[in-house]
Amino acid sequence: MNFQFEPFLTLHHVVIAYLDPGSGSLILQLLIAGIMGAGILVKVFWKRIKGFFTRSTEKKEDDTELQP
Amino acid sequence: MTPSSNPDEVIGASFRDPSGFLFYRQGVLYRQINQVYRQHYDQLMSSKLYARLVYDGLLIPHQEVDVAPADPAPAYKVIQPEPVRFISYPYEWSFSQLKDAALATLAIQKRALEAGMVLKDSSAYNIQFHNGKPTLIDSLSFEIYHEGDPWVAYRQYCQHFLAPLALMAHRDVRLNQMTRVFLDGIPLDLASRLLPARTRYGLGLATHIHLHASSQKRYADKPLDKAQTARKMSKLSFTGLMDNLEGTTRKLRWKPSGTEWGDYYTASSGHYSTTAFEHKKQLVSQFLEQLQPTTTWDLGANTGEFSRLAAEKGCNTLAFDIDPAAVEQNYRLVKQKAETHLLPLVMDFTNPSPSLGWHHQERQALLERAPADMLMALALVHHLAISNNVPLAWLASYLRELGHWLIIEWVPKEDSQVQKLLTSRQDIFPGYHVEGFEAAFGIYFNTLKKASIHDSDRVMYLMEGK
Repeated sequence: MNFQFEPFLTLHHVVIAYLDPGSGSLILQLLIAGIMGAGILVKVFWKRIKGFFTRSTEKKEDDTELQP
Repeated sequence: MTPSSNPDEVIGASFRDPSGFLFYRQGVLYRQINQVYRQHYDQLMSSKLYARLVYDGLLIPHQEVDVAPADPAPAYKVIQPEPVRFISYPYEWSFSQLKDAALATLAIQKRALEAGMVLKDSSAYNIQFHNGKPTLIDSLSFEIYHEGDPWVAYRQYCQHFLAPLALMAHRDVRLNQMTRVFLDGIPLDLASRLLPARTRYGLGLATHIHLHASSQKRYADKPLDKAQTARKMSKLSFTGLMDNLEGTTRKLRWKPSGTEWGDYYTASSGHYSTTAFEHKKQLVSQFLEQLQPTTTWDLGANTGEFSRLAAEKGCNTLAFDIDPAAVEQNYRLVKQKAETHLLPLVMDFTNPSPSLGWHHQERQALLERAPADMLMALALVHHLAISNNVPLAWLASYLRELGHWLIIEWVPKEDSQVQKLLTSRQDIFPGYHVEGFEAAFGIYFNTLKKASIHDSDRVMYLMEGK
């Protein structure tokens, strides 16, 4: 009996796995999210660097406006 | 849910989620929340996420009500959501409507994460246009976020939003109609095959569509081992993924101008003289004023010039057109003017949206979402009667099912537009004349008013269904 059922079970398993593309989605997500998270950090730092220079320019402009 | 033993009508689209379901009781829509969802619902309400999303117009407001649940055993609470005037589906949306629905989903996700929650699904069908804006209608879409967990709705976002948007932007805008066939979004391997090769070089689509499809194929028949499923994803990575999806979605663009249709509509009234066009507007306005309908469906609305006459009177108006470019232009205008009573939708009346999904009950046919108080069929009769060979009496019978009152424009055979339709085919329409029209429509409608349009051979009718 067991012997007879075995091929059926294996097939069943494969079919279910085939029908669910979730595994590949999960693996990819785990793989790329780390890189994209790092991307966020770069973005934040870049904004700060940009902000630092923009602020200092703004300050200069402000200063000039203050001078009569 | 056991709909059989009580008179409540359980909504056919909400059977999948064990968290709860929708039901109608005496014409009022309720949502039962089950005990299994209790802590998620409580977090949604207590974290102020609900209040914030409702304030931003991103989530449908609801009230907790003291109403007996439809299925008492698993029930926690019953809520009454604010009714959405018309349920529309992604295959009825133009490019920007789908894009705005996608961006709304991500905006909701961002706010949810700040409140320690995530969206557990990102189905495009959970978004509806409410007061002109894309709004989440499924209040049970949230679950408590556990740091380390990946986003369970990632694949669904790619299939429901990213794939159709990419196909529309990079291949052809009409590919949106694929969403009518693939109700759970476009399979990524199919999207990957259909997209042009150049989309493999931009980081976003290369990853979320092409690489995603390859990964699905690679692991399709390989069960994951424990080490793979146990891997964690930091909150930073989670945010990074969301940020990248948003950037990728934002970059997808489609412009109706420069297409084969686009220019036609800039000169939409070209076959009318100004006098005729203004008189037609005046007649439509008068008819609407006289009957004050609550809902109006404009069939063949182009960019919504006449639909706006109804919407501006506070009437909930749908502006249907077969052309995705016209609907796109109309929707952009709705956004620009912040209009709340006008919803443009893509619809081919020779093949209107059917009932779809499990038991044909998940997505409603257009006819099931009817009737409207008022129908407008302006410059439409000849398209259906001549281009699609629909006998006039059949057309009248269909329109009678769609709505109660009817403003209809008779376009005679001598009209230049009808002649254009007849140039490439034999005239097999001996019954297409004003007497035939009046006789056919007389079976289903009483004519309340009739007026010839100045400086034109067309006639306007105001009719009421028998």
